Amino acid sequence: MVKRGQGAESALIGFSWLAALFVPTVLCAMVGFLVVRAWPSWGAPLFFGDTPALAALTGRAPVFDGIWPACVGTLSLIGLASLIAIPLGVATGVFLAEYAGRRTRMAFSLAVDLLAGVPSIVVGLFGFALILLLRRTFAPDANTGLLLSALCLAVLALPYLINATRLTLETLPAGLRLAGFGLGLTRWQVVSRLLLPASLRGVSGGVVLAVARAAEDTAAILLTGVVANAGMPGSLTGKYEALPFHIYYLAAEYQTPAELAQAFGSALVLLCLTGTLFVVARVFQRRLHRTWSGMEVAAWR
Amino acid sequence: MRPKEPCDRRGADRLPSALLCGAACVSAALVFSIFAFLAAFSWPVLSGGQLGSLLSWHWRPLAGEFGILPMVVGSLCLAGSAMAVAYPLALGVCCFVHGCGPAWAARPLFVSIRFMTSVPTVVYGLVSVFLLVPVIRGAFSGSGFSWLAAALVLAVLVLPTVVLIIDTQFQAVRAEVRVAAAAVGLAPSQEMRHLVLPLSRRGLAIAAVLGFGRALGDTLIPLMLAGNAPRVPGSLLDSLRTLTAHIALVVATDSHSAAYNSLFACGLILFLATLCVNLGVLSVRGRRLG
Amino acid sequence: MAVAIRIERLSVDFSGKAVLRDASLEIPKGGPTFLLGRSGSGKTTLLRAINRLNECFPACRTSGRVVVNTADGAMEAYAPDTAVEVLRRRVGMVFQTPNVLPLSIARNICMPLEATQGMRGAEAEARMEEALREAQLWSEVRDRLRDPAVALSGGQQQRLCLARALALRPDILLLDEPTASLDFKAAQMVEELLGELRSRYTLIVVSHGLSQARRLAEYLFVLHDGGRVEELGKDVFRDKDALLTVLGDLL
Repeated sequence: MVKRGQGAESALIGFSWLAALFVPTVLCAMVGFLVVRAWPSWGAPLFFGDTPALAALTGRAPVFDGIWPACVGTLSLIGLASLIAIPLGVATGVFLAEYAGRRTRMAFSLAVDLLAGVPSIVVGLFGFALILLLRRTFAPDANTGLLLSALCLAVLALPYLINATRLTLETLPAGLRLAGFGLGLTRWQVVSRLLLPASLRGVSGGVVLAVARAAEDTAAILLTGVVANAGMPGSLTGKYEALPFHIYYLAAEYQTPAELAQAFGSALVLLCLTGTLFVVARVFQRRLHRTWSGMEVAAWR
Repeated sequence: MRPKEPCDRRGADRLPSALLCGAACVSAALVFSIFAFLAAFSWPVLSGGQLGSLLSWHWRPLAGEFGILPMVVGSLCLAGSAMAVAYPLALGVCCFVHGCGPAWAARPLFVSIRFMTSVPTVVYGLVSVFLLVPVIRGAFSGSGFSWLAAALVLAVLVLPTVVLIIDTQFQAVRAEVRVAAAAVGLAPSQEMRHLVLPLSRRGLAIAAVLGFGRALGDTLIPLMLAGNAPRVPGSLLDSLRTLTAHIALVVATDSHSAAYNSLFACGLILFLATLCVNLGVLSVRGRRLG
Repeated sequence: MAVAIRIERLSVDFSGKAVLRDASLEIPKGGPTFLLGRSGSGKTTLLRAINRLNECFPACRTSGRVVVNTADGAMEAYAPDTAVEVLRRRVGMVFQTPNVLPLSIARNICMPLEATQGMRGAEAEARMEEALREAQLWSEVRDRLRDPAVALSGGQQQRLCLARALALRPDILLLDEPTASLDFKAAQMVEELLGELRSRYTLIVVSHGLSQARRLAEYLFVLHDGGRVEELGKDVFRDKDALLTVLGDLL
């Protein structure tokens, strides 16, 4: 019995298989290629060059051939950006979820969505413009540097934090809020004693995702002070190295096969870093899901 | 009778509210200050007689020509072609996850998609320079750094974004129709074709718009793979330059200040494109925001 | 007495929690057959096991045998080569809360016909009218078939769901508390409808209402906790006091 329209469904199934096979193929090709090419350079010299590891870690000896300064640069960027973005993002998320009225919330969500969509190179350009403005006004010798880059990365990470906080708070059971208000707690007490502790996991997941976003971005720091050879980051306003830029730079400007292998090594390090952050964020969010989905299980029985 | 207590409490409650509200205002103000900076710094170009020079087809900074139209076209071409590859793939992946494929494969596939969101752009770029570009160079001719290379990799980059949006939409629709569809004996592929796809029109449109915005805004893939010649590409194998890569290149080569000012015009165009994307999403949603 | 469905040692668990254990029963043709039981005893799960709808819910495991006798012969519901879609078309279902599809009234009935049997145009429209008449909805919706189905009242939606199932010409209809979400008048109408459909279909009804069961049931099974299924004779459940004595510990 041949039915009309069945051809379309078979085509749909066939095509979905094709698309589904494409994803693991690309992923395996990419990770496999990366690992194979990074293999020759893998080890302590990748990080520290000829400098003894202990001396480099304690900062007693400078590192010349390794990617350690770039790693430290990236870590400082992440740290600084988190310091700026986390308080601001979580506070904004709490405000939008718990305090803002409907209209305020709509206006602010539009702004947050817009911020999330702004290309990172434009954020970098914004940072660059900030320096130009400072130079023309009260700091004629202002220059791009670590703090400026961290600020730009914070801007990029902010929407992730706001949305994660807001979503987590909004998915908490309404009973929790009612219970708090029923006890005569003020809004802030409900938020700080009940809702925030209950949403700690979701917010942490958002923080980790935001950190991963800040760690991988290249375009914004490209315009705001990253350089190829700066050594360890010295001051907040100084130039610095960072892993993603190091990779980008070596991919275009490598002189020797060893440098190219180092680029692949750095890429593998960066992928491990963001991959770890990804797994951590997933663990946070899955636990959260399980905590609150226990109630649904009873519902459909 | 304790009349004082409620007053005290309200007082104690006011400070955190103010702080939170302040934080939200700072966050929102960031968007406006980005716009303000871009507008202010590109004003000399936009208002003066240089507008004609800006809207021309030639970028020759040494000759005083700062035309950015080739980059505008380059951005649109690249983003459009990347979406033309990524969108059908994303749709296929979502159909696969939502019943067209076997249940056991859905979860691992979706985890891979989520993992792809965490892969740094520069890693895609690096691997493509040494894996994809030589393939293209061998298969056709030229350097391999081309519109084609950038479009393919950009498609991989935006794929997870598009998948996650479509998936959210499919989940919402299927929650509504799945049991009813199964009860009348629809196979999953029939449910997909006759119910989920037609009822997801809005989400599908939103995914296209947001994916396009994401493709338009990426810097590193075109910068590393597209060859960066500042002219309109004649074929898929030609080199092209996008607005984003243009900004990165010109800042790096440190030209004189007239070139800088044209960069802010590029930034402004990208910002306005983002604005259009967001307004587009809002209009598709029909202003039914919660 | 012809058997419509034979269930043998049926166990169902969700996420490792046993909802139904070793339930065995034979449901005769015609009916209506009523399933009664405390809430949580697994009535709905038993009903959904017949057309394998439990599989639409996460982490469900089913073991045992369900044999459905259809016009085309016996179907082994859980055999590996059974097409679950075909089974579900032979065994229609109406849910506790009406779950119309977010389409027009006409598409609610015609879309499944088109998708599963390739039926379109005049043929599909004729089938739709027949089903709507059978569900006593035709006179109420004939002038607004293109309106969205969600605009109908609860009772109308429930009858539309019934019509949607009937349009596929099933042999068996599963009804999961079909009147529970309706007001008195709408419920009465659906009840009357069941009385008429019993001559053409095997009806299996999960119900909370004792009086409803007494009024309509031809056969009656009681689900005890732990999976024991007890069949009550007509003489017992037609007599209110006798029924209450049997069910006293249950309801």
